[in-house]
Amino acid sequence: MKGNQKGAEPRLVIPGEVISDHANLNPGCGIIKSTDGHIATRLGTLNNNEGTLHVQPINATYMPRSGDLVIGYVEAVLSNLWFLDVAGPFNALLPMSLAPWKVEFGDARNHMDVGEAVLARAQEVDESHSVVCTMKGVGLRKISEGRIVSIPVQQIPNLRGENGATIQSIKEASDCRIIVAENGRVWIDGDTAGIRMAVQAINVITMTGHRSGLESRLTACLAGGEV
Amino acid sequence: MGGYGDVKLLNDDGSRLDGRSIDESRPVEIKAGVIPAADGSAWVRHGLNEVVCAVYGPMEAHPRKIQLQDQAVIDVRYNMAPFSTSDRIRPGFNRRSREISKVTAEAFASTVMVERYPRSKIRIEIEILSAEAGTRCAGLTAASVALADAGIPMRGMIVGVASGKVEDTVVLDLDKAEDNYGQADLPMGIMPTTGEIAFMQMDGDLSMEELQQAMDYNFAAAAEMHDIMEAALRARYEGGDE
Amino acid sequence: MASQVVPQLLRQYLANLAADDERISGRGQWQGREVELEVDCLYNADGSAKVVWGDTIVYVGVKFELREPYSDRPTSGSLMCGAELRPVAHRKYEPGPPSPESIELGRVVDRGIRESGCIDMDALCIVPGESAWMVIIDIHVISDCGNIFDAAGLAAIAALRNATVPAARYDVGEDYKLAVALTPIICTFTRVGGRYVYDADEEEELGGAERLSITLGDNGNMHSMQKGLKGTFTAAELSEILDVCATRCGELRELVDSKVE
Repeated sequence: MKGNQKGAEPRLVIPGEVISDHANLNPGCGIIKSTDGHIATRLGTLNNNEGTLHVQPINATYMPRSGDLVIGYVEAVLSNLWFLDVAGPFNALLPMSLAPWKVEFGDARNHMDVGEAVLARAQEVDESHSVVCTMKGVGLRKISEGRIVSIPVQQIPNLRGENGATIQSIKEASDCRIIVAENGRVWIDGDTAGIRMAVQAINVITMTGHRSGLESRLTACLAGGEV
Repeated sequence: MGGYGDVKLLNDDGSRLDGRSIDESRPVEIKAGVIPAADGSAWVRHGLNEVVCAVYGPMEAHPRKIQLQDQAVIDVRYNMAPFSTSDRIRPGFNRRSREISKVTAEAFASTVMVERYPRSKIRIEIEILSAEAGTRCAGLTAASVALADAGIPMRGMIVGVASGKVEDTVVLDLDKAEDNYGQADLPMGIMPTTGEIAFMQMDGDLSMEELQQAMDYNFAAAAEMHDIMEAALRARYEGGDE
Repeated sequence: MASQVVPQLLRQYLANLAADDERISGRGQWQGREVELEVDCLYNADGSAKVVWGDTIVYVGVKFELREPYSDRPTSGSLMCGAELRPVAHRKYEPGPPSPESIELGRVVDRGIRESGCIDMDALCIVPGESAWMVIIDIHVISDCGNIFDAAGLAAIAALRNATVPAARYDVGEDYKLAVALTPIICTFTRVGGRYVYDADEEEELGGAERLSITLGDNGNMHSMQKGLKGTFTAAELSEILDVCATRCGELRELVDSKVE
C-alpha cells in the first residue's frame, strides 16, 4: 500500500478517520492509536512503511530538522545576527559566528541585507522548532541570481524522483541549475525559457503530485506540451 | 401558545413554514480550497447562510504575550460582512462576533493537536457573507474543513449543528423566522467520529426531555453533515480534474 | 497590514523579464488575467456582485438606508463606499482598525463612481430636507492575489447596476431598479521591472513599484485617478497607459453589460 505505487490510486484519509485494517502496525506521523484501531489526524495519503502506518499529508508547514538544507530570505538584521524566513512557523537565526565572512560587530548589513536570499543549513533545532542556521559548509552561500519558487514539502520526494531521476530530467530538459532545499524552496538558474519550463514542471508536481500518473504528466510537460 | 405574538411557525400537518419536517436540515453545500491565498480554506452554504473560512499557519505568535510555551494559540476571527444581514451591520467591533470568536477558538483548541506547534499560532478567519440563522454553526463547519485542507493535525472534525424549539415542538436546524420567534436555540459543535462535544451554547426554555431530543437531533445531523464535509475534501484532492 | 520583505532576487528576475518583454505569468505587457463576474449573489444585499479575478476574489454588497439629507444638500441623497481588507484575504493582513490600504481602496472606488455621475443623487431624495436614500457600497476582499483595485471597482459598479431600491420595506413606495446612467471602470497599471504593466499579480505587486489606477466612463472621459505607492512616472508613460486603459475599460464594461439586465 505504498503511496505512488504505479497504477493504484493512493488512499486519501481525513482527520478523525478510523482505519481498522492494518491494526498490527505501529502508529507513525499523522496517526494516533485508539481502541478501534488507528485514527488519522491529517488529510493525506495512507502509507505503510516497514511496519509503520503513517499519513503523507497533502499540505503541511515545513518543520525544520537539524541538518536540513534551507533557502531563506533575510527578514531582519541586528548588529551581529540575521533573522531568516525559512518558511517554517518561526524565523531562523543566523549568527555572525556562523557566517562565511569575517563580520565586524554592527557590520552585518554590509554583508547581507534584508531581502537577500541565502542557501544555509539548519544546525540546531530545539523542541519548539526554533532554528539556528549556519553558512559554514560546502556550497552554502548568498544567492544572487536566478529564481526561487516554492513547492509543498511533501512533494519534495516526487520532485527528486527515484535516485534523483525526476530532478535530473527537469534539469536536462530546461538546461538549468536547480537546487531543492528541504524547506520547500527550489532555486533555479538558467535562461528565461528554461526557468519557465522548470517552474511549470514544479507546478505540475505541486498541484497533482498526490495523484497517480505523475510521471506521464511530467514527461508531457517537459516535452513542451501544456498540462 | 408557542411563538412570539401571532407568528405561526408550524403548519397544521406538523411541517414547518418552508416545508421541512421537524427533524429535517436545510440543504447544505460545501467546497474545500476556495481561497487561493490561504493555507487552507472552505466555503459552506447552509440554507441561505453563506460562509467562507481561511486558515493561516502555524506561524509565529505575535505579540509575544499571547504565545504559549508548549502549544499553539488558536486565533479565531468570526466576522459578519456588512451586507450579510437584512439590516446592514456597521463594520467594526461587535460584541456578539467577539464572543463567538472566543468559544469557537476554544472548541478547536480542544481538537486540534496544538502541542505540535508550541509558541506558534493558527489563524482561523471566518467571514459570514449571508446570514439566515445558524451562522456560528456554519462557521464551525467551514473552519473544520479549512483546517483539514491546511493540513493541521486534528483528532477529528467538529461539525456545527443547531436545534431549537418552536410552538412547544423540538425542531432541527432553525431558520431565521424560527430563530427570531421560537422558544429555544441549541447550537453545538460535535465531533461525530468520537461523539465528543467541543462547542455548546443554549438560550431559551427547554425541559430536560426537550434538551435530550434536541441533542439527539444534533448528533444525527452532525453525522450526516460530516459525510458532506468528507466528500468536499475528497472532491478537492481526488477529483478527476488536473 | 504587516510589511512584507521584498526578495531582491524577485526584483532582479522581474527586471530581467521586463527587459525581454516578458512577465512571470507569461502574459503580455497589457494583458489581464481571466475575470469572472457574478451578480445578485448575496441574499440579504439590495445589489451584489462577486468578482473572481485570477486568484483574487472580491464581494461587493450594496445596501440602501433612509437618512435625513445633509443640511447643505437638502434635496440630495448620498453615497458611501468603504472597503475591508480582512485577515481572511492574505497572511499579511493582520486584525485591527482599518488600514490605510483598505481606506485608500474604499475611497478610490468611491471617487470613480461618484465623480462619474452614474447615480443621480437628486433622484434619491424622497422628501426634501427630511428623507433621502443613502447608497452604501461595502467592498469585502476575500482573497488578495494582486490587483484588488480593479476587482473591487468592477464588483462595485456591477453591484450598483444590479441594485433594487427597497422602497416597499421602508413604506415609501414600490421597489424599483436603481438607475445607473453609466458604467465607470477602473484599470490599474503597476511599474514592474522598470516598465508599466496592466493587472499586476501577487508577485508583481510584491516586487513592483508604484501603481496608477484610472477610472474611465462610457465616453472615455476620466473620472478619477490615483497614483499609489513609492515611485514616479512620466507624462509619456501615462499617455501610453491611457490608450490601453480606454480599450480595457470598454472590454470590462461589456462584461458588466452581459451580466446585468
